[in-house]
Amino acid sequence: MNPMLQVRGVSHGTRTRRRLQAIDFDLMPGERLGLLGVNGAGKSTLLQLLAGVTKPDEGEIRVMGERFDNATARARIGYLPQRLPLYGELTVTENLAWAAMLHGLHNGTAHAAIDRALQMVALGDVRHRLAGRLSAGMAQRLALAQALVHQPQILILDEPTAGLDPLQTEQLRELLATLDSAISLVLATHLLDDVQQLCSRVLLLDGGHKRSEHIVAEGTDLLAHLRGSASPPTGANPA
Amino acid sequence: MILRIARHEWRRLSSGLALWLLLAFTQLVIAWLTFAQLEAFADVAPQLKATQAALGATDLVVMPTFNSLLLILLLVTPLLAMGSIAGEAHAARLAVWLASPLSSAHIAAGKILGLWLALLPLIASASVTLGALGMGIALDPVRFVLAVGAMLLCAVWLASLSVWLSSLFDHPAAALAASYGVLLFLWLLDSLSSGDAPWRPWALLPHVESMLRGLLRSQDVVYFITTAAAAWLLTVYRLDRRRGVL
Repeated sequence: MNPMLQVRGVSHGTRTRRRLQAIDFDLMPGERLGLLGVNGAGKSTLLQLLAGVTKPDEGEIRVMGERFDNATARARIGYLPQRLPLYGELTVTENLAWAAMLHGLHNGTAHAAIDRALQMVALGDVRHRLAGRLSAGMAQRLALAQALVHQPQILILDEPTAGLDPLQTEQLRELLATLDSAISLVLATHLLDDVQQLCSRVLLLDGGHKRSEHIVAEGTDLLAHLRGSASPPTGANPA
Repeated sequence: MILRIARHEWRRLSSGLALWLLLAFTQLVIAWLTFAQLEAFADVAPQLKATQAALGATDLVVMPTFNSLLLILLLVTPLLAMGSIAGEAHAARLAVWLASPLSSAHIAAGKILGLWLALLPLIASASVTLGALGMGIALDPVRFVLAVGAMLLCAVWLASLSVWLSSLFDHPAAALAASYGVLLFLWLLDSLSSGDAPWRPWALLPHVESMLRGLLRSQDVVYFITTAAAAWLLTVYRLDRRRGVL
């Protein structure tokens, strides 16, 4: 089985301040991969590289064997950044129309895609409401719908549950758990519960390095892995 | 695709309050200036008729008001353009633009065209106000059309430069300040330089004034088009740099 994403020797940042250093991994079809790390570990930078927002300074990322220079590769990815990419002054439908337009969907195709995405995130009732007037949970679901509107094969989510209350967090996790199993998912988070409930494998990042990689199963002690992978604080006595 | 991006940009701008407030402000100022110029013209009209001077309402009312419209456009365009790219970056939407399959050339051209479309109501409302004078007094139709054409060309020029300056920053306020700095410098360059100064061809006013005088010179058209094209290329370069392509 060919990987959906191949990440080989990816480094990013200046030589004096590397944000990422020699990251390697594959994402297999239908796999749910979590990126776990403390703030500043390099999760968001890695996701930006995976989404094609920018190119790595070293190494290579391939999407189903193709480079990002190829528009087809970009069309296979849905990306939800940490800060929601919504136009508050536009309606829910107009926000989705923008996301559809970015991926070359228009007219009838776009309308069908928007209806499908709205149904998926259960926002059909508020389709004419301004995005700026949505609750945090609804706004997060709208942003997720934007990432899904063109039916990507790989979904990249940067801290999707950040800023949500426990109920909204649970609703979003349920929504993500019900996504088509054919969609491969890369999810960055610093919440262990996100990984435990949504991911089948986790990469632990620290200081821009991949420290370890684990299969997530019931009973996996992620906190122990996280503690074990974190670099000791400056000045700490290793003994 | 460029048209679709432009339509999105127009929708974004027209959904906010700023465009309509600026349109109302422009219309108010243009109406006031038109009446003020008209009143002054009515005072001197008998003397002009007695001396058989070649000056008419086109020279003394319409063209000075178009000149003022240019200054208004220069003040208004950066306000609308600051959100084009700097605003997108500030609101974290630029990452989604850059991750999309759209080329930087299409994004830049669509953004410029969308901003130009947003400036059209301002130019149209001022042109209709001034054109309405033709119902009561004789206007030179050729010069009027040329003046409207000059405003449309200036709007392309302003939109391109403002979008490029917007692409240099991640915060709209910084883009606004830079746009005002650069555009006002180009506006004032004419009065700051003598006739043979090497940088005088870059000044905006001589190119506009010749068109407002009724002269359609190829050098003026080339100035507007090449400057706008250069600003578009610089925007594409900037977006590609952000994408890590260059």
